Amino acid sequence: MSAAELPLLGRPDLLSIVPASARVALTPSRLPEPGEQYRFHFNVEKCIGCKCCVVACNEQNGNPAEINWRRVGEIEGGVFPLAQRWHLSMGCNHCVEPSCMLGCPVEAYSKDPLTGIVDHNPDTCIGCQYCTWNCSYGVPQFNPERGVVGKCDMCHSRLTAGAQPACVNACPSGAIAIEIVDVAAWRLSPENGNAPGLPSVTDSLSTTRITMPERAAELFNAISRVDSERVQPEHAHASLVFLLVLIQMAAGAMGTIAAAGSSAAWLAAGIAIIALAAAPMHLGRPIHAHRAWRGWKTSWLSREVLAFGLFAQASVAAAWFGTPITAAAACAAGLLGIYCSARIYTVPARPAWNSWLTLADFYLTAFTLGPTLLLALGMIATPIPSLLGLAAQFVLTIYRRRYFEISDVAERRSTARLLDNQLRPGFIMRLTLTIAAAIAIPNFPIAAFAFALAAEAMGRALFFQSVVGKSAASAFLTPGGKAA
Amino acid sequence: MNPFRLLGIDNLSKEYAYTDDPVLGHTSAKRSAEKWIKTTCGYCSVGCGMEVGVRDNKAVAVRGWEGHPVSFGKLCPKGLSEHHTLSAPNRAEYPLLRKNGKLERVSWAEAIDAMVTHFRASQFENGKESMGVISTGQLLTEEFYTLGKLVQLGFGTPNYDGNTTLCMASAVSGYKLTFGSDGPPGNYEDLRTADFVLLIGANIADNHPILVQHLGANEHKFLVVVDPRVTKTAMLADLHLPIKPRGDIALLNALAHVILRDGLANNAYIEAHTSGLAELKAHLEKYTPEFAAGICGLKPQQIVDLAHRYAKSNSAFVAWTMGVNHSTQGAETVNVINNLALLTGHIGKRGSAPFSITGQCNAMGSRETSYTSCPPGYRKFESAEDREALARLWNVDANRLPTKRGFAYPDIINAAVTGEIKSLWIIATNPVVSYPNQAQLRAAFANLDFLVVQDGYHPNPTSELADLVLPAAVWGEKEGVYTNSERRVGKANPAVTPPGEAKSDFDIFLAIADALGCRQELFPNWTSPADAFNEIKKVTKGRLCDYSGMTYEAIETHGGLQWPFPEGANPTEPSRLYADGNFPNKDGRARLIPVHWEPFPDQPGKGFPFILNTGRTVEHWHTRTKTKEVALLERMSPNAWLEMNPEDARRLGLRSHEAVSLVSRRGKVHNIELRLTEIIAPGQLFMPFHFVETNVNEVTQDAFDPISREPNYKQCAVRVERSSNKGTS
Repeated sequence: MSAAELPLLGRPDLLSIVPASARVALTPSRLPEPGEQYRFHFNVEKCIGCKCCVVACNEQNGNPAEINWRRVGEIEGGVFPLAQRWHLSMGCNHCVEPSCMLGCPVEAYSKDPLTGIVDHNPDTCIGCQYCTWNCSYGVPQFNPERGVVGKCDMCHSRLTAGAQPACVNACPSGAIAIEIVDVAAWRLSPENGNAPGLPSVTDSLSTTRITMPERAAELFNAISRVDSERVQPEHAHASLVFLLVLIQMAAGAMGTIAAAGSSAAWLAAGIAIIALAAAPMHLGRPIHAHRAWRGWKTSWLSREVLAFGLFAQASVAAAWFGTPITAAAACAAGLLGIYCSARIYTVPARPAWNSWLTLADFYLTAFTLGPTLLLALGMIATPIPSLLGLAAQFVLTIYRRRYFEISDVAERRSTARLLDNQLRPGFIMRLTLTIAAAIAIPNFPIAAFAFALAAEAMGRALFFQSVVGKSAASAFLTPGGKAA
Repeated sequence: MNPFRLLGIDNLSKEYAYTDDPVLGHTSAKRSAEKWIKTTCGYCSVGCGMEVGVRDNKAVAVRGWEGHPVSFGKLCPKGLSEHHTLSAPNRAEYPLLRKNGKLERVSWAEAIDAMVTHFRASQFENGKESMGVISTGQLLTEEFYTLGKLVQLGFGTPNYDGNTTLCMASAVSGYKLTFGSDGPPGNYEDLRTADFVLLIGANIADNHPILVQHLGANEHKFLVVVDPRVTKTAMLADLHLPIKPRGDIALLNALAHVILRDGLANNAYIEAHTSGLAELKAHLEKYTPEFAAGICGLKPQQIVDLAHRYAKSNSAFVAWTMGVNHSTQGAETVNVINNLALLTGHIGKRGSAPFSITGQCNAMGSRETSYTSCPPGYRKFESAEDREALARLWNVDANRLPTKRGFAYPDIINAAVTGEIKSLWIIATNPVVSYPNQAQLRAAFANLDFLVVQDGYHPNPTSELADLVLPAAVWGEKEGVYTNSERRVGKANPAVTPPGEAKSDFDIFLAIADALGCRQELFPNWTSPADAFNEIKKVTKGRLCDYSGMTYEAIETHGGLQWPFPEGANPTEPSRLYADGNFPNKDGRARLIPVHWEPFPDQPGKGFPFILNTGRTVEHWHTRTKTKEVALLERMSPNAWLEMNPEDARRLGLRSHEAVSLVSRRGKVHNIELRLTEIIAPGQLFMPFHFVETNVNEVTQDAFDPISREPNYKQCAVRVERSSNKGTS
């Protein structure tokens, strides 16, 4: 398709209120050439915060009210009466390096070679929601009614048919436009993709260009998002807590079995299989779980699936042969899987997850629960590894809260705030259970195991609940209900 | 839940399918319509043109009317989702009569019979004037006209008013006092062409968003916004003047003072077309910029500069909304704005007018024909000539026409408290959310023998209290015209049929007239709104609000016609009043009216240190009866909030999102989400009024403009306390 075949593209809005002299085409008059792509331009100065774009987008895509592929955030700065409040209307940024696409385990995402639009295919999507963690702007949203994720596609089909995207068309002040960007030039200097209240353009090389009002320059550092005081815990993801804690325990148990020269690999194999059986429960479309390895070239989720698949098979083999060597091999596969797991979470969009602490946390769970399980079953006698593991987890838990509290990353400080406020009972419980396990170990190993398991499960639930993702600034009020 | 969906075999791809619609292009298949009905939006007074898409008698989409002279194809977020208001779950579908304390479904015949019987009995016992009627700005003009005749001549009570008195009555009174008639002189083209635009007490970016594009299209204007709060509109301004609450009269008087002092007045215009200059001049002596600056919190030099800029502009447009109207001096503030226009001759020409931006979609239509604050056709109760003219047109005895206006809205409420009003008919308004000082309203309702609520939505906070609920059709289900702020009469058309047994207000009025036995006399052979429209044409012929050259077809073709529109008028020429400098006052001159600044009545002081301001947010309409049911609008703005400057919060130890209570001398409201922001001045607070759950009108003051009877919603004294059940930290 060539530009010549698209006579309607960029047609002037003949009936517009805007005088002919001032009329600017809101959509490009041609298709991008190689090395170029389409992108959004958002003019903060023109936006009056009416949210027509949000309504038009939801109508265009038939989405329920809870799903907003375009959202309007607010930023504010200055002191009365010289205060300024501006609005940021954001859809998908159609990044040059789309983190949603790179993380997707089933290749549901594609970057259109012609337009650069990042498309998502709801029929391929299995609803793992990994992309919702991966995007710094919170663009992909899971639709529980459908069991799949969805996101802005720049109204791809409208655009290529010569029609304006719904948001562009609805905006009464012409603040949203589609334009063509030279990708190489943008890569070199993407500053105009930054704005107060937005994550850095470099996270995934967002392409949206933002024009800030001139008078914003003097206030730039003083402008902040208006939603920063509102921090809500996220979902605890019970099925993922179950999967992670059990599979980590299984790997730890397998290692302990190998080290102890035990032939009880069947135990670790059994736990691993139970853990993995629960994994699809997390998906919006469990029946399509088998597709999850397809994105292995770029997706840590696919790699985790492959590694844990390998772990399960090696565990079964170890159980069959019952030799320490096969158990050690299975343990190695398990540890590889845990590494892949941790890498899923170490993404820039989730600062509280994005550090070595996640890896340490996951491995310590394996190191704590594996030996403690065998101790409780009387298969080993020494409590030393368990005590070491528990002590390390205790220290790590406290260290992590402190690390977040003093971080210069706002989202990490918010995580600490959650742990100190809404999630405080869980945080205290996690520490108490860890101490209780350590105390119980010498005389009540079964109780000690129960405490340790509960402590790790609580820790993992807090891991999910306390994360504060990067996002584009949102509005002050909590969407959909009172901040309670 | 469907197991196929749970397993993920089904991902609802059918429900979420797209289609290539011949009208809309590529879009959600849910919006694909069989037919498109052109109409005018039913929310606010901007009067946007839109089309409603209908499939299987369901409104499935709306879209802007391309090239419409008001909205140019654009709609605000409420307009863009307006079709959802038709299928809201709280639509009133059946007449309900209270029996043994419970509202029970009855037939229309029983409902109308009960209504007429109760009203008649109460009127017989307590006097005709003991019946009150409170209507709205939401009906069609034909319906207002029909209702006016029904109430004034059929029921024979003059105690009939609209909720428009809570909204723009001050503009009406102010225009009448200055010019001799109601009627906003300018139009929207003025916004696009004025050299200088002053918005005072008007946050159009939130409240009339589609007007902003007219300003946006004006590249050469200098925009001044006078508002105590840094509103979205203030942020559009070239100059924002953060005036102290109710400093407006002092500021406007000082502008006039400087204009006269510095020789900026248009003496030829004043000489030819106004009266009262000498008195005004003497009166303005003391309103020096220094004096006014002390009151309104601006700098004297700012006032001088503003006066010079306004007076020296070739065209200058002053527009206002509720910041001016919602005041015990609302009408007078309008007079002072009009003074400025008259002193400089900034009226009656392109880009120049003192312009009231009205509130509701048909507040203007009610002003023209509802027979509340004036008899139809901008006539005067007091004028025997006017009464005789109407009596002739209506074929009735002129003695039956009231010779003065009955109670205005607040006076009806107060009269219910004192027992003068015993029965009340409320049409399409929701005082349980909107009336200032709810305690007084509750006292009024407690005294009523019989309350009828006619509304498109039930239950709503007011209809829940009714003895009789009449289910009405709403916008999108009925035919007629709305007049917008620029006197443009736009056509509203039915897209779908009303739910259940709901009927158009027009049909309800005729049914009541039938039961009263006055249908044939007052509405001879009427069957459709067109019959009322034809009579309106006759009644307005030769009046300022002249409809006589209009037809439904022409209105629709041109996206509305602006009155005055006598036969032969040009349908596309933007219309302005007073282009010839000839005013409807007897001497043909406009009055220059001296007005004194007074402090607002409920001053902050010990125990109540804050000044509370109330207003709106773009997502919601009035008392949220409709917009609460539009899931997306409700999601974007789910609850009220209270804006406070961080400096005050620090002093009180309060944090953003905390739940706080507002307390005034009249009442309390709890659990409001606190919002700390620099857009509000220290010592002031702002809260939206849409939310019955946290109703700011529990604390607002029932003080009213003695002229217009409009409430003083914009300032009252309050304190803030932490609510006992804490919000989020």
